[in-house]
Amino acid sequence: MSGARTWKEELGPEIPEAWGREIDIFETQIELRKKGKIEEKLFAETRLRRGAYGQRYDNGQRHDGQTTQTLVYPSAENTKGPMTLWDAPGMHRIKIPFGALTADQLDVLSELAEEYSDRILHVTTRQDIQLHFVHIDDTPDLMRRLAATGITTREACGNTVRNVTACPMAGVCQTQAFDVTPYANAITFFLLGHDDTQNFGRKFKVAFSGCKDNPCGLTNFHDMGLIARTRVENGEVRRGFELYVGGGLGAVPQNAQLFDDFLREEEMLPIAQAMSRVFARLGEKTNRAKARLKFLVKKLGLEEFKRLVLEERAALRPDPRWTAFLTNLHVTDEEPVRRPGKLPPGPYPDGFERWRASNVIPQRQAGYVMAVLTLPLGDLTSDQGRALAEIARRFSGDAIRTTADQNMMLRWVSEADLPALYTALRGAALASAGAGTITDITACPGTDTCKLGISSSRALAAELGRQLVDTGLGDDPQARGLHIKASGCFNACGQHHVADIGFLGVSRNVNGRRVPHFQLVVGGQWTNNGGSYGLAIGAVPSKRVPEVVKRLTARYSAEKQDGEGFSAFVNRIGKKSIRALVEEMQVLPSYDQDRSFYSDWGDPREYTIDDMGVGECAGEVVPIVEMGLAASEREIFEAQILVDEGNPSGAVKRAYSAMLEAARSLTREKSPNLSSDPDEVVAEFRKHFYDTQLFFDPYAGGKFAQYFFRVHEEHQNAQTPEAVHQLIEEATLFVDAAHQCYARLGSALGAPAVSPLAAASPPSP
Amino acid sequence: MQAYKLQVKIFAVPSTGPTPSLETFIPVLHRWIKDHVLRELMIDVANYAHVPDGPGVVLIGHGSDTFIDETGGRRGVMHSRKREAPAPEERLGDAFRRALHAAMLLETEPALAGTVRFSPNEFLFRINDRLLAPNTDQTFAAMKAELDTLAARMFEGPYELGRVGDAKSLFSVKLVSPAPSTLATLLSRLGGPPAASQAAPVPK
Repeated sequence: MSGARTWKEELGPEIPEAWGREIDIFETQIELRKKGKIEEKLFAETRLRRGAYGQRYDNGQRHDGQTTQTLVYPSAENTKGPMTLWDAPGMHRIKIPFGALTADQLDVLSELAEEYSDRILHVTTRQDIQLHFVHIDDTPDLMRRLAATGITTREACGNTVRNVTACPMAGVCQTQAFDVTPYANAITFFLLGHDDTQNFGRKFKVAFSGCKDNPCGLTNFHDMGLIARTRVENGEVRRGFELYVGGGLGAVPQNAQLFDDFLREEEMLPIAQAMSRVFARLGEKTNRAKARLKFLVKKLGLEEFKRLVLEERAALRPDPRWTAFLTNLHVTDEEPVRRPGKLPPGPYPDGFERWRASNVIPQRQAGYVMAVLTLPLGDLTSDQGRALAEIARRFSGDAIRTTADQNMMLRWVSEADLPALYTALRGAALASAGAGTITDITACPGTDTCKLGISSSRALAAELGRQLVDTGLGDDPQARGLHIKASGCFNACGQHHVADIGFLGVSRNVNGRRVPHFQLVVGGQWTNNGGSYGLAIGAVPSKRVPEVVKRLTARYSAEKQDGEGFSAFVNRIGKKSIRALVEEMQVLPSYDQDRSFYSDWGDPREYTIDDMGVGECAGEVVPIVEMGLAASEREIFEAQILVDEGNPSGAVKRAYSAMLEAARSLTREKSPNLSSDPDEVVAEFRKHFYDTQLFFDPYAGGKFAQYFFRVHEEHQNAQTPEAVHQLIEEATLFVDAAHQCYARLGSALGAPAVSPLAAASPPSP
Repeated sequence: MQAYKLQVKIFAVPSTGPTPSLETFIPVLHRWIKDHVLRELMIDVANYAHVPDGPGVVLIGHGSDTFIDETGGRRGVMHSRKREAPAPEERLGDAFRRALHAAMLLETEPALAGTVRFSPNEFLFRINDRLLAPNTDQTFAAMKAELDTLAARMFEGPYELGRVGDAKSLFSVKLVSPAPSTLATLLSRLGGPPAASQAAPVPK
């Protein structure tokens, strides 16, 4: 057997240097948190920004159906966030920009699911992959293995720019204006870690669509939705976007509003940057329920919001990255591995034609098709993941996409290969028909793993899928095209608002006991990029939901008029008649007569909402100054480690970097356009904090700032062990002085009324 | 042994009667959590019955998971160590004892009414760590003596060890013995039910 190697050593050069450094930093932060040297709120936001999310029962309490029991973890004293125990398993969200995966990446994801999770890869409604039941101690290696294959989990959760999504058919779609993939790629990496996206009060979601009418991009419910379009100007075809802002689902769904009917391609990144700055500056930071961009747009009004963004845009310091990506829009192109072809004559394998009818979509490129893999509840196993990677290598190359309806797609499949592909997929149990039909139900994790879940959306979706297949609704030509989506709570991660028939988990008191219910929402519009939202009709007991769906769809199937969609049908028959159905279903037997109604689908425990915890969707609002100061402390700690490891020059650089980071953190509040150039940081710090004496210590005056200036001027030229030691001491004092300055100036530097750092241990690296 | 993420799967014997669905195990495993039946901290039950030939139903624990596993189309009970590893010299025996213990508990579980039986003649051993234990002949050579010692003690008769799976698989060894035996006998030869882990609540 091999020696005690580590993934860090094993993968070393394969990990991009900057990403490797970020992961090393996160690993250090884990150690510092274990030692109590990072305050728990700060660590919570830090881990969220690395994709490490909480999970149900992570407060150490679990209801067993009769009473709440305490889960006694070994390190019961340590936490990774408020009410979140260190050893409690968590969810790791892995951003997959625009859902694009290579075969090698799928292999690695499958390995990670096997080694750190429960052998399940879960595709989310925003094209991410999630792993559940992951221990926080395993996350640095998990991240390294991802980084070595070109995936970062940075800013997958927390108050950040989340995964940038896009139509999975981008580039091969028949109706697109142009391929949005390189634009989604550009905005992903431009905004990732950008200074202007680090101080949000809530998350910020971006989505792209290649056309307006189809649902694939779902731009209508994103903070920033971009729909590709072209325009002829002076005889030249120009590319741009219809830009929508302020959309969102959740408890208060909002349709996005048109910001610009033709945002030129070269303006996409600067406008995104300007919008980020306005959101960071004016977005709500205290009331988390009102902190998404949609509330800011509503509060200011679209015109004022637009004026502010354009004003901010005009003031931005030019950045060559704004247009650099336009010189190579082929960077995201995929290479087919097979020649185009025609479907060979039959006979075909059993089930092939049925699968082809629902799961195969012709590409705009003749002879090629897309094949959709219907994943039950968005899940596939590690074994299936590896098998799919091999199938992709054989038939489509690195052209795999996740989709917002929790499926996967292989692109660039030669039509001639379809029977062979089907046979290969069937061998991996990945050839289920029915993609995009009534049996292909979307569901968020709900009470299975989510701390906010009220009802079991996944178990409901599984049961519904089973019953709809059994009753043949999947083959009913009238009903099969309907979309069903379920969310475990009002946060709407299952996107129930845009389903024909949607459900969101609620609880009701019946006969003196809690009973799991789902609010029925009908008439949402999946087409037109999720163009309109359904309305709630009433709450149905969970166990009666399948009956409601069957009756509703049977009526639609029997009474729909030619060409009438479900939304129009609902409007025609009137919501009152649907309400009558709901009311009929609301009457329940008593607990003693039938206890099954008092448990949720898939969970035999008597139902309770006692297991609900505090959600982490909102992350923790930690002012950017505090994030920066915490980073400075961590760098001083690392400098000391480097000294211990016999690397004095590295220690000197790290200590200097700590001072620079502390100075920049403070100075950015006075000088928002501050770059990371050390000379500029020093000059601006001197101007705003030294010359004004704001940084001066009541007793030591400007001494600590002078340490910083000297180290900068001497180019970190410490030669002897004593000099290195002294430099680290000075850096420690400077960072501490920065903390004191921040504490003195308080809200003038963006500090909340009660700072997360106020309760932290004093800096003692 | 440096690696500690060991897995042992014991295969179910095909039933002459109806095979219980995976969902049948869910209330059983919830009760195991409630009554602290296993000697480790157990947290939740994850249901993956909707995924064919997958992890099935999983009793999620802190130190280890217990799968009603259907990988490869064959049902079995699998113990999977995650953390809280015993001392290196005890790891292999501990993994087999916990798997045998779980299998015996399922066989005698009243709610399953004797519908579940496991084979005492066939085991799958895996190391869930590709860094420390890639699925190679070299790893097999390094592990063989330890596996031989355990197999000789457990079976007290002939047995065969063989590496299975491809280079991308976890390190996997099939352990087969033709000798008639019972789960209880095998467990007894390995020292009886496993000791409680650090984070084990008191069984009810």
